Amino acid sequence: MYVLGITGDAPTDSRNQAVDRVADRLGQAGRVGVVRYDATIADGAASRPERHGGDVTYELGADGDWAATGTGLSVRDALDGLASDCDYAIVDGVDRLAQPQVVIGGPARGVNDPLAIVEHPRDLDLETIVDALHERESYETLASLVETVTNASEADRAGAIATFTGRVRARDGPDDVRTKHLEFEKYDGFADEQLVAIESDLARRDGVLAVELHHRTGIVPAGEDIVFVVVLAGHRREAFRTVEDGINRLKDEVPLFKKEVTVDDEFWAHERR
Amino acid sequence: MEWKLFADLAERAGDRHLTVDVEPGERVEDALHALLDDHDDLRERVLDEDGQLSDGINVLRNGSEIHTQQEGLETTLEAGDELAMFPPVSGG
Repeated sequence: MYVLGITGDAPTDSRNQAVDRVADRLGQAGRVGVVRYDATIADGAASRPERHGGDVTYELGADGDWAATGTGLSVRDALDGLASDCDYAIVDGVDRLAQPQVVIGGPARGVNDPLAIVEHPRDLDLETIVDALHERESYETLASLVETVTNASEADRAGAIATFTGRVRARDGPDDVRTKHLEFEKYDGFADEQLVAIESDLARRDGVLAVELHHRTGIVPAGEDIVFVVVLAGHRREAFRTVEDGINRLKDEVPLFKKEVTVDDEFWAHERR
Repeated sequence: MEWKLFADLAERAGDRHLTVDVEPGERVEDALHALLDDHDDLRERVLDEDGQLSDGINVLRNGSEIHTQQEGLETTLEAGDELAMFPPVSGG
């Protein structure tokens, strides 16, 4: 899933028009989720459905239409949920978003390197924005990658899914200095080619039906996921082996570089081995 | 000819992308020396005492490693080549 933020100091009407235009265009290419952040929603005051007890409520119709309300959902949680179901997500009204954004009206705080800054939604060059969005890192979760492999054409022969998730370890022992975050740099273009080459290599093995590798770049805070290896296979033995070989090959071969930032130091990982 | 540098190599050079004045027909070694002549910090990092590339320093031309897949530092450059140099990879 590709995530596009819409932000800026334009009036709400104007921002809504921008969301509509972008959603229409993205809708031609896939299923689109929209996350609207509104700080005035509080104490279960989301507009619908009405809540009669319970912390999360889904209202479902016979044809699969639905509405939901609830408590305790972050923007990230919402995106994690959409990632398995949608090809695109639009996030409206979040200034400090890690994903690419377009700005409507004046510059908003904390927007790094926006895809576009326009005065009015009609000025958005949608084709250029969509092309640029596809050049950025897609938003993946373990669940979204599992969804991808289970959609493989040969999934009816699959009896196993094995996965590996690498995450940012805050510390390696009780006395270890706490890691705040890792920052990953990659050799753009070439790293992705290497990842695809490893995927195809592993997917050619007997009994292996589909392989997905995904590695985040930029800043990844302690406790968050960095890398996923997901294997769909006929049986557990080749699934486990392929997952292990996949993460080992990724770590050995793909040009990614890790800087570790602890509470009192920062250093490149390859300098401390 | 353009060099792409990564991680601490880019930090030492002060930039991730650097252009050197080397023509097609010259060798990777010429492009390397053109790069290092202006960047002493980087030279110290990537060359050993004998002036050879240090262990763990990777040089790629158009995405393929020069020692295992090409003619090493003797590889001849062509127009539009992309050169890259980076330390041991550390993903995951």
